[in-house]
Amino acid sequence: MSLAEIAEASGLPARTIRFYIARGLLSGPVKGGRNAAYTAEHVAQLEGIKRLQAAGHTLSEIVRILGGRPSEEEPETVPDAALWQQYTIAEDVVVWARAGGSPWRTKQLRAAVKEFAQRVGPEKNGREGE
Amino acid sequence: MRLAMQRLWLTGQVLPVGGRLVVQHVFRSDEDRPLEVIYSFPLPRDAALRAFRITGEGFEAHSELKQTEEAVKAYEQGIADGSLAALARQYGDGLVNLTVGNVRPKETVTVYLEILAGVELRDDGFRFRFPFTLAPAYHARMRTAVVAGEGEMELPADEFGDLILPRFREDASSLHEVGFELSLHQLAIDELGSPSHSIKVKRDAAGPTRVALAPAKDVPNRDLVLDVRFTESKVRVLAGPSGNGARPFAAVVPSTLFGQKTGSPRRVVMLLDRSGSMQGEPIAQARKAIEACLAALSEEDRFGLMVFDNHVEAMHPALVAATREERECARTFLKSVNARGGTELAAGVQQAARVLGSDGDILIITDGQVSGTEKILAVTRGTEIRVSCLGIGSASQDRFLSLLARETGGVSRFVTARERVDMTAVDLFASMGRPVASGLKGSGNVQPEPPRAVFAGTPVLLYGEMDQSSEHVELTWDGGRLDLDVPSGDAEIGEAVRLLRGARLITDWESRYPSEEAVAPLEKRQRSRVAARLVELSKENGLASREMSLVAVVKRAGDRPGELPETRVVALGMPQDTSFRAYFGGPAKQILAAASYSNKLTDAVEAALQRSGTRFSRPRVRLQTDAYIAPPQPLCSRLPPSVASDASASNAGLVDLAAMLEPDGGMPGDDSDVRAARTIAAVFAFVVEGHTLTKGAFRLHVARLAGFLKSLSAVSEAEKRLIERALDAASAGNVAAGEWLVLALGSGTRWKNIEAVLK
Repeated sequence: MSLAEIAEASGLPARTIRFYIARGLLSGPVKGGRNAAYTAEHVAQLEGIKRLQAAGHTLSEIVRILGGRPSEEEPETVPDAALWQQYTIAEDVVVWARAGGSPWRTKQLRAAVKEFAQRVGPEKNGREGE
Repeated sequence: MRLAMQRLWLTGQVLPVGGRLVVQHVFRSDEDRPLEVIYSFPLPRDAALRAFRITGEGFEAHSELKQTEEAVKAYEQGIADGSLAALARQYGDGLVNLTVGNVRPKETVTVYLEILAGVELRDDGFRFRFPFTLAPAYHARMRTAVVAGEGEMELPADEFGDLILPRFREDASSLHEVGFELSLHQLAIDELGSPSHSIKVKRDAAGPTRVALAPAKDVPNRDLVLDVRFTESKVRVLAGPSGNGARPFAAVVPSTLFGQKTGSPRRVVMLLDRSGSMQGEPIAQARKAIEACLAALSEEDRFGLMVFDNHVEAMHPALVAATREERECARTFLKSVNARGGTELAAGVQQAARVLGSDGDILIITDGQVSGTEKILAVTRGTEIRVSCLGIGSASQDRFLSLLARETGGVSRFVTARERVDMTAVDLFASMGRPVASGLKGSGNVQPEPPRAVFAGTPVLLYGEMDQSSEHVELTWDGGRLDLDVPSGDAEIGEAVRLLRGARLITDWESRYPSEEAVAPLEKRQRSRVAARLVELSKENGLASREMSLVAVVKRAGDRPGELPETRVVALGMPQDTSFRAYFGGPAKQILAAASYSNKLTDAVEAALQRSGTRFSRPRVRLQTDAYIAPPQPLCSRLPPSVASDASASNAGLVDLAAMLEPDGGMPGDDSDVRAARTIAAVFAFVVEGHTLTKGAFRLHVARLAGFLKSLSAVSEAEKRLIERALDAASAGNVAAGEWLVLALGSGTRWKNIEAVLK
């Protein structure tokens, strides 16, 4: 399914879908470049986002919910989604790492991600997200 | 910090009726992948987008005006093809998203966007206002959150479609730089100043006056506000040939040419916005302003006083006479008013209209930070009551408040939070309720329709179109007429006037476009009369609207189809003097609106939420209120600081003085001698600051003081002479210097004190 097709299927504008991907609400396409494709899983994720929005949740809360972390009572006083880094290792592999750690820990994690990327996929699309 | 947008620079020409502006947006990608950048901004008053030019290394392209669906389709196709694409699309409340997609890694792209914008007209000049930031605005179904220290706001999609708002930062210093360089045309300028920015002015007798930001750059946390005062208050007509053989014109006719107002009793409701964003100096000044305004009423006048946030509270359920007791009651009521909650403006207007019945005026004092304004306008139009607005704020809600006043036949003013709100309120109040003219009609295909009534201090603006051979436009009103000479003009002026008129017409029609209707599917919108008219006006004038958007696609070698650009939303500074915590202060759930809440979760999602530990609780309605407002800066920025400071202090004294007037128009006192002497001193105190029977913000107060002095009978010959001097001063504006304000405020002032100063 192309971006235009998933936009049609979900009733959401393509620009909104790209915005959701950048916000970490939605996974990126399963292939890169001109073969970029979206699946039924993406449609289901978008439906979930719409339902959570209808329930009164903000996008940042939905990021936390879908990321498996509990919604916080006082989000401004705790680390939030913006403090996480997402590494898309391959079309089917994503690694999340907590940002803001000590320099040695950050270096150690990056090295590990790099090593892992070399093992599981030829492409290294490292990307920062929430 | 890597910024997707690095610079926003305003240039262009400002005419006495509006500006033809070009805004430069510089986008840069410091990423290793293509970017899609979204910049959000509000339109100024009576504004429309005309076109944009997009440039970069080795390319330049111009926008096309297309129906919005087609424009979005063209933009998306461009993105899918891997091409650089840009889309300028307008949403409800005059909000615009400028989206530029597929900015390549390390590339700089500049968009020059042409905007037509109106100005706030006054008899002796105008105020130009341009938004460098966007004010967060209350909506009953808004959702807010704080993410990494930045405020995030989401509006309901069923009203605002796919609009994306910026994130708001308390500290704008690390955001993109802003600035301006404007030229002022067709103007004989006496004074030029800005209460918002430091400016440098270059005046050239032969050419236009140029005004620019004095520092090298500034931050996006407030509007640019420029005040222009003419050397002379007179009729100004701009015209010139346009492409279709017609001659568009714009005429500004000062209110002083329509005569004096009549003295019929007034019926007025003061409606004060007490929402959280008004906290601090704005609400303190508004309280004082209302007291001073009420003191301008006589006992024959009737008034009401209401405040609103999420709820409306009234001092009394009906209008009351402006007696001493009722004014005291109003003062007590105002003391209990603090800023809190949301901005349910429509409910406030409806309640005020109910109290007024079929006739009267509402004066709203508000920061106007409210969303869904088309609905509010519809409600207000339905009341058939005249509404005047005093706006307060550093970020523009000027478009909404000017529409609110115009659509109901009232007048509006918009001041920054660092100016004296109370002085402007008193001035506005003096012109309300008693129009100097009504029943206006103009020859020369005048469109839009002239205003229903003319008020002192605010000129009439007429737009029209005439054939090349005509030289005059006739303006008539109940009991008067005026011939306006229309110059032949040049093509540049003619084109500017044609576009400004188009922008005004589009703004008027958009204000009648219900939000839900405007985001409905195309098939449904095609049946809308407003949508059809907007398409027609857009095509006629070559201007964008909610139905027509601007789009450009730049195909280049090396475009990579299918590559997904990374979306970046440009952050903006929280408007200066609006508390961040007023919108984003508390836990996100506490500032959600109840109306947005629904328990209809699917089992799967609900289960997922429960697994994640989310607890459900019905959100509260109230906004957080603890706020910080920076101290105000001098009103008269064109004056040296010491003079400006003195002027501000004396104005504060006059507001206090005005609030003291008794219902019979005299000053208070223990006996008749003290009352008479203090009243004379009060007249001199106002006159020495330039306020007379017909001039200045306190003209109503001077008239009431003079009325009291005329009613005095049991006085000696010497005292009569003092009264005559005061009455002469009130008419002619001449008075000897003295500590008049001190004497007027002093409870022991007597005749001898007045004589001593005058000797």
